Amino acid sequence: MLRQFNELFRKELKILLRDRQTILLLFFMPAALIFFLSLAVGGMQADVLIGRKIQTVVENRAQSPKANLLENKIKSHKLIDHKVRPAGMDNDRLFESSKVQAVVVIPGGFDEGDNPVEVYFDPVIDAGYKAAVLSMLTSLTVEVVMGIDNLDAVVANMIVEKTKPNREFPNPLEQTVPGFAIFAMFFIAIPMSIIFLKEKRDGTLPRLFTYPVNANLVTLAKLVPYYIINIFQFILMLLIGIYIMPYFINFSLHWGGHPWHLLPITLIVAAATTGFGVLVAALARTPEQSSTLAALGAVLMGAFGGVMVPYFFMPLVMKKLAMLSPVYWAHQAYLDVFLRGAAFSVILPKLAVLTGFAVICFYLAGRKIKWM
Amino acid sequence: MKALEISSVTFSYDKPAGKNKSAGQNYALSDFSMEVEGGQFHALLGPNGAGKTTLMRLITAQLKEYRGEIFIFGRKNFDKRALYDIGYAPQPVSVYTMLTAQENLRLFGVMAGLADEEITGRSAEVLKETGLVAYAEKTASVYSGGMLRRLNLAIALLHSPKLLLLDEPTVGVDPQSRNHIYETLMKINAAGTSIVLCTHIMEEAQRLCSTVTLLDRGVTVFSGKMSEIENLEKFFLEKTGRGLRDD
Repeated sequence: MLRQFNELFRKELKILLRDRQTILLLFFMPAALIFFLSLAVGGMQADVLIGRKIQTVVENRAQSPKANLLENKIKSHKLIDHKVRPAGMDNDRLFESSKVQAVVVIPGGFDEGDNPVEVYFDPVIDAGYKAAVLSMLTSLTVEVVMGIDNLDAVVANMIVEKTKPNREFPNPLEQTVPGFAIFAMFFIAIPMSIIFLKEKRDGTLPRLFTYPVNANLVTLAKLVPYYIINIFQFILMLLIGIYIMPYFINFSLHWGGHPWHLLPITLIVAAATTGFGVLVAALARTPEQSSTLAALGAVLMGAFGGVMVPYFFMPLVMKKLAMLSPVYWAHQAYLDVFLRGAAFSVILPKLAVLTGFAVICFYLAGRKIKWM
Repeated sequence: MKALEISSVTFSYDKPAGKNKSAGQNYALSDFSMEVEGGQFHALLGPNGAGKTTLMRLITAQLKEYRGEIFIFGRKNFDKRALYDIGYAPQPVSVYTMLTAQENLRLFGVMAGLADEEITGRSAEVLKETGLVAYAEKTASVYSGGMLRRLNLAIALLHSPKLLLLDEPTVGVDPQSRNHIYETLMKINAAGTSIVLCTHIMEEAQRLCSTVTLLDRGVTVFSGKMSEIENLEKFFLEKTGRGLRDD
């Protein structure tokens, strides 16, 4: 029996690994996605995480002592990259050129309180930056008007931020590496179901059953190679994230406080993805149908689960919907390790959901599957 | 001893578990009986949809829920030892095209319970018999139609079965490959292997087989010696009609 299992296992692995398209799909696709999307998301998040400066024109039309003080404070603020307005360029043309995102005008009569400070923003500027600039200008104006040297220092004892730095907001690698590794693991359903249906169609699978072979043995020998490949997929993506990506991006992937938690998570995620593959194989009637079903399922679960659009960017409704996707639970379990350093008891409910998903898939597939 | 004994087998795809016949049900086989003596080369003929392939699947225990009994050399066909006695070459070429001939033979050899040394020895023999020695290490995906058919046969021959079931073994092959297959089969039969051959090529059946069963719409329409039939094609059309069969 063990000999039969060993031979069937080797057969499955050979067929899988000799198919170049499968290798591209399972290993190259997620690696490429991690590479390009980490760079893209990195560029986007660098502004948030590192603190991009806002190119700002500051015009002091009052030229009074308080106006001059405010002008200097604005120009020297860490959020501001001071720019000089090119001759003859109005605000609209300035913003169109993308060289400037904000224009601050200190009007005549500022000292007397007759005219307020005016601010103009590039219409496409992120709302977060807008709020940050407005908040900064408010603080600086209050300081100048009230004669306070440093408002931040005054309020420092009143408001203290207690959030662990960046612990709830994954950096690009923390987002994309587990995300696309899970995504690719779900793509195992494509070769798995195609090979199964192809063998059924060409008669090789029924032929196996003309020998004294146990159906459970054949099933197991068909599952185990994909399960192992899933684990290798994750390991490879993890190594790419930890050792290769930092050469290209100013972020790193942390192992987290309990790296051993990755083991049970990966084993259970692989069971869920393999279960999904078996279910697709059982539901589809042709290899063409199975590839469409598997790809569509994986993409939808990925999109809903916070891989393509990060979970923290989603509106509340989408965040609720995300919970329907096993990808969400898998991704959050990995983020618990990489980002939050969570205890195993925190990860356990997520693993329970994934185990439930795997059990349901295997159960439904077991009822639906036809070997002939 | 009888190589194959089929008694009153009834099978339906509509209701495979049917222990009793029921009205309105389509039966692939209905009270079908057939016998093949040890060492015989037996032709199983019938138009499309007659039930030949279904019968092959029943004999090889791929389909299990039927009424009646099937014995292979005196053992029920579900018996593990009975299955080891059968060599089956299905109608579709059922080989793993991403594996080499050698790898295919190893896989099915292990399934048939052969030891490693036996697999090595028998693989060399059947590859020689089927003219595939030169291509043994190439993946089957590069084989021609005729080579695939021969590999399909080689797998069935690998474990030296006492009963060989062949479902249209020469479909789509050139005359050279067909002739090679005929010669191989005659040699194997001469060595004592019982063979059941399903074919649509009447000339093939008349040339190779000593006995014949004619099957149509799941029932036996003739069973006897080939020597009793002068022109098999004419006889076949007389017994099964000239109307087209599209089912």
